[in-house]
Amino acid sequence: MEVRLERRLTKESLGQRVAVAALSVVAALILGAIFLLLTGFSPLTVYYEMFKSAFTTWYGITDTLAVSIPLILTGLAAAVAFRMGLYNIGAEGQLYVGAILSSWAALAIAPGLPRPLAIVLVLGAGMLGGALWILVPAVARAWLGTSEIITTLLLNFVALYLMRYLIFGSASYWRDPAVTNFPQGKTIPEEAYLPVLGLTRVHLGLLIGLLAAVLLWVMINRTRFGFNMRVIGDSPAAARYAAIPIRRTILTVMLMSGALAGLAGASEVTGISHTLDPNGLAVNFGYTGIIVAALARSNPFGVVVVAVLLGGLQNAGSTLQTLSETPVPIETSYMLQGAILLCALAGELFVRYRVHIRRGPGATKEPSGGVLRGARSGP
Amino acid sequence: MNEAVWVVTLAAAVSAGTPLALAAVGEILAERSGVLNLGVEGMMLLGAVVAFLAADAAGNPWLGLLAGMAAGGGLAAVHAFLSVTMRANQIVSGLALVIFGTGLASFLGKPVEGQPLGSRIENIRIPGLADIPILGRILFDQDPLVYLSWLVVGLAAFYMVRTRAGLALRACGESPATADAMGLSVARIRYAHVIVGGLLAGAGGAYQVLVRVPAWNGAGTTAGIGWIALALVVFAAWRPWRALAGAYLFGAALAANFALQAAGVRVVPAEFLAMLPYLLTILVLVALSASSTRKQLGAPAALGVPYVREER
Repeated sequence: MEVRLERRLTKESLGQRVAVAALSVVAALILGAIFLLLTGFSPLTVYYEMFKSAFTTWYGITDTLAVSIPLILTGLAAAVAFRMGLYNIGAEGQLYVGAILSSWAALAIAPGLPRPLAIVLVLGAGMLGGALWILVPAVARAWLGTSEIITTLLLNFVALYLMRYLIFGSASYWRDPAVTNFPQGKTIPEEAYLPVLGLTRVHLGLLIGLLAAVLLWVMINRTRFGFNMRVIGDSPAAARYAAIPIRRTILTVMLMSGALAGLAGASEVTGISHTLDPNGLAVNFGYTGIIVAALARSNPFGVVVVAVLLGGLQNAGSTLQTLSETPVPIETSYMLQGAILLCALAGELFVRYRVHIRRGPGATKEPSGGVLRGARSGP
Repeated sequence: MNEAVWVVTLAAAVSAGTPLALAAVGEILAERSGVLNLGVEGMMLLGAVVAFLAADAAGNPWLGLLAGMAAGGGLAAVHAFLSVTMRANQIVSGLALVIFGTGLASFLGKPVEGQPLGSRIENIRIPGLADIPILGRILFDQDPLVYLSWLVVGLAAFYMVRTRAGLALRACGESPATADAMGLSVARIRYAHVIVGGLLAGAGGAYQVLVRVPAWNGAGTTAGIGWIALALVVFAAWRPWRALAGAYLFGAALAANFALQAAGVRVVPAEFLAMLPYLLTILVLVALSASSTRKQLGAPAALGVPYVREER
């Protein structure tokens, strides 16, 4: 038997993409089932409960949407960078710093201001925080060629320690001096609260996330800047010959990516926790955003869809941990998210290549190169 | 600080650097074959939790070490499959490995989180050498894995430079088409070295729970040292002995935290000391890229590029 791969010369259809994505999810659920069985859980019960708690009740659906808001923003943050071949793995840290700066702005500037102005200022501070946190990796990448992968990632740990220091390690401006038994942050003034939908946890951040997705799509597909981005991503050499300002574009895109992640932090502070809450923020929104962008293949609208699905998974994870009779750890959903990403990566092969399997003695070896030489149309 | 404290600190630096050295040498082998595996942190975490569970169940830390290595190797095999056979983007595949490894490790470790491990690997004083003033205390009054790591580093260096298989490995990373024309199987060589890299990363993760802190603390068990190990590979210019030296340097940054607190220095808050190794790593990466290109450092030419015979 011989297996041969042939690059597809035509672009894959939407149907193929969706089919591959669906099969990846099924494969990941099977993989997850193995580990659930090994640890003594019944996979069918767990999956059924997860689906039920995330997508069938009104509270389940609204909570899923609330969890998907930061995932839309961090997913867009990762996607805009992916689109030009950059890997911002630091959305987690940029989200923390966005939360730190926005909660400062809410405490220091917002009191007494009209609500719309207060919200704009506080969200702006969050975006500034995220952009500041990626500044050094961005400049190093654009001018020195330092790989942004490790630098952005390591800053996540620095940001985490910084945030913990502000609340747990010191009597900082953010910490509430009135509460002494368990350290927590001051509550921000109501002027900076994002409006919510009825009695749910869904807040204005959802509309902001959708707006950001539309703006990014327009920017990437309909502007000169977006065209430059795509050229740099597909072929840096071509971009150089076309005199595209590569460094400036890299810097701008990375700052934009950081700002989106910072906005995610700001929207958590102003929409959900109303305080700087290190434990509530450090739940992998940044890392999950990378999965979101990868599964959505960096398409901004795809990011929104995938963010809601993974938000459901995360929401179900935390519900199952507290509510069900046999508590299933929330880590189950992290494991499943990782498994989905791995399976989707493997599945991508079938999108990019046509697989030929020949059996029997007729399976002669093709001369290497052969027919396909020169047919090197990239993915 | 009096003399005793700095000697203890340097001894702690060697111990803290050992998992870094193991993981970095493993990654050097993988990258020399042309495969970039960013999944070190995931392999280390999975290695750590499996080592804990196995050592706990068997009551024997050495069985834990073997199990942890197997777990790291198994995860690495997934990366090899995705990047060599499935020709996936190696960066995304590596990140997927970290996310899946972290998730799986947290899931498997949940029932034992925070529990102490009954058995651990104890220090062995090497008679004679351990009596050398200062140096003896720093280098020869350590756990057996420290000594084993020297053996691993030495073997890797010898293998890469002095053996035929090592030459094939380097050919594979520099010019896979040439290696292929020489009749070598690029896929087989890449699979083998990525998996060996995973075994060593798994050993590094196991070290964290079997020697350093005998407990499972979730993702905080490795706390990003897998990423520091990746940076170390660049710092070491893809050479094992340099990776060992670098590992002790970063180990010192990791150990300084405890030493300063032990010495009663309270000027710098603990959180800021904890940031030190990460900031140092970033500084080193930026400085290296400023001073020379990766090529001059000795990065394998075909690093991160899938080899497709029909498209060479």
